[in-house]
Amino acid sequence: MSINKNTILCYRSYCLNVSQSFRRCGSNLRSEIGGKFGTSVQSYFVFLKWLLMFNVFSFLVNFGFITIPQLVYDFSPNVPNTTSFRGLEILTGAGYFNYTVMYYGSYSNETLEGAVDYKMQLGYFFTIAVYMVLCGIALIFSMASSFKANYVLADTTSGGAWQLLCSWDFSMTNERAVRQRKNNLRESLSEKAQRKQLTSSEKLRHFGIYLGAWLLSSSLTVGCGASIFFLCRYEQLTLLVPFMVSLMNMVVPLFFSLFNKFEHYSSQRRQIYVLVARNVLLRMCILGVLCYYWMNVVATEYSCWESVVGQALYRLVFVDFIFLLLGSFFGEFLSNVVGTRLLPRLGIPEFDVARNVLEIIYAQTLAWIGIYFSPLLPAIQILKFFILFYIKKVSLMQNCQPPRRTGRAAQMKTIFTALLFFPFFLGALAIVGYTAWSLTPSKHCGPFRGLDSTFSVVEVWMVQLNSTGGSEVVIFVYQNVIRSEIFYFLITIIILVIVYIFWQVSQGRKQLIVLLRQQIVNEGKDKSFLLEKLQNLQKSQPNIRSKNHKKVGIPSLLARFS
Amino acid sequence: MGTTASQLGKDLLSEYQELTFLTKQEILLAHKRFSELLTKDEKDVPNVRVPMERILTLPELKSNPFRKRICLVFSTSEHKDGSLTFEDFLDLLSAFSDSATMEIKSHYAFRIFDFDDDGTLDCDDLQQLVNCLTGETEDTRLTQDEMRQLISNILEESDIDKDGTVNLSEFQHVISRSPDFISSFKIVL
Repeated sequence: MSINKNTILCYRSYCLNVSQSFRRCGSNLRSEIGGKFGTSVQSYFVFLKWLLMFNVFSFLVNFGFITIPQLVYDFSPNVPNTTSFRGLEILTGAGYFNYTVMYYGSYSNETLEGAVDYKMQLGYFFTIAVYMVLCGIALIFSMASSFKANYVLADTTSGGAWQLLCSWDFSMTNERAVRQRKNNLRESLSEKAQRKQLTSSEKLRHFGIYLGAWLLSSSLTVGCGASIFFLCRYEQLTLLVPFMVSLMNMVVPLFFSLFNKFEHYSSQRRQIYVLVARNVLLRMCILGVLCYYWMNVVATEYSCWESVVGQALYRLVFVDFIFLLLGSFFGEFLSNVVGTRLLPRLGIPEFDVARNVLEIIYAQTLAWIGIYFSPLLPAIQILKFFILFYIKKVSLMQNCQPPRRTGRAAQMKTIFTALLFFPFFLGALAIVGYTAWSLTPSKHCGPFRGLDSTFSVVEVWMVQLNSTGGSEVVIFVYQNVIRSEIFYFLITIIILVIVYIFWQVSQGRKQLIVLLRQQIVNEGKDKSFLLEKLQNLQKSQPNIRSKNHKKVGIPSLLARFS
Repeated sequence: MGTTASQLGKDLLSEYQELTFLTKQEILLAHKRFSELLTKDEKDVPNVRVPMERILTLPELKSNPFRKRICLVFSTSEHKDGSLTFEDFLDLLSAFSDSATMEIKSHYAFRIFDFDDDGTLDCDDLQQLVNCLTGETEDTRLTQDEMRQLISNILEESDIDKDGTVNLSEFQHVISRSPDFISSFKIVL
């Protein structure tokens, strides 16, 4: 009996220890990274983990609904005898991989007989469509919830001195980090206290420099786009384009940071926003040029063009991964060595959260564009993010110091999610949508061969349902909701009316707030006026108080007012 | 109610869990860390009170600019010397934990910032607050002019009834507009 009790106790304490160490492993992010480097660096790693979840979901869905039926139907890839597996395929994505289920081209367009009749065309189309829609909904909800939590009443005081004082990070335990934060806080506070006024000639000069910097960065961006378009012609050097794209993405932002140093900004936040905006424009321009080339040139010239695009995206993803690792090496490790041994003036490098977040958002966009052309690309992306997480963590611990600016982690999370959604996700969705809507699928390979456009799969299915007398509801919904223009017109009008009503309500509430503040000030003045009168009354007539203390109860009156 | 020897009883553990915002693992970890601060004789004493100097050797509090105020606020001793029992320590961790609400955190933040314990933040409290955050030594502090300008900016922002001090409601109003506060007012062992 006692042995059982002992073993149970032993087992329970063992379980407690395991769960404790598990919990510590999971909350390692919070204590290790958050404690030493602050909450903004921690938010980068949390964001990376969140994006990894998207890819895991995408891989499971694609593998389950697209690849497994294809593998069940036709297990061996029909590789021609000339190509065999050489190790080089991992780098270029072409060759042997071209004939496997990695790319669009090797999926069949038939109805797969088996336990269940599985229409491959519909399966492919609806899997991709539903995944993109779910991604969009998840992003919208995440953005809306963090927006609601973090932008309550954007007042003139947001960004004021109180925000600086109350954002002291109590979880910081590193002595040096604390000292640095104190220094930066002191600088920001003395800046706030001074509030210099600029003369108009100085303002004009600052505006001129600002305009010049914008012109330079826009011309750099356009130049990069044009050179990528020109280089795309040289298809024989398969790795040239991905290499140049990643090189530009690494080098040109350094120029942007250089321009940033010469410009003068009224607040640090605006400086970061402008830098991020320029980087986003650069990456979107390059991606736009590449997509234009793929949609207009590759789609008409090659026979199995979707696989070619898939391979190009695979190469981009892979080379981007290599450059991210190199960037970590040069940006952090070498900077640390230079900063500590060779040029002590530079000091230990900081972990640049904004640049790193932008890099992983860009990597995720490549994966989102690539899902249509290469359904198993999320697998590569999962590996990439997984390895990147640990490399960045190790590099952070060994090489970097905490960021000097007091990072506003909550707002940054909102900005990251908004950046992820607006330019990048919507852009990827637009590219995939345009491909599905307007471009002719290739005639000899892939699940949509022989059709005019990918979307006509749904039309064909509707015709089939109609002729075989299928579900009435689906046909009704398709004819009167999805295909009719009046429905969309009505919905738009209703949404505009609702937005207008909410806007008016918020304007009214702003006026109410001003009135209420004024009322509080007036009440304060009333209170001090009445207190003064009461004290004067007390001083002038002390006898009355002793006679009438039962009736008047002055102490309770005083207590009620103060 | 008190803690004895090196193990917490199960019913005591669940009582603490109900009364604070901490989870079971966090309470056990706190107990372990608190016991490490005790000397050998003190380990058998129930309701032992640890003096402030020893509490301040904890790495989580050692570099915090508000460490002394935190100990003074959470201490329940009659001498107001900042010494903490285990239950005071749990109170401290509970207020600084993840699951504590905004009201609790802002209430304790107000008490920590109120250096003279008079229930409002007046100019002296604000001056000491800024000095705590900018540096202890002479050359890292703000100049007199900067300090005066800064305090008048602060009062302009947050003193709604214009009485020259910031009371608890005004403080909570300012805090509610600072989304970083709830995530930065945290101490995790």
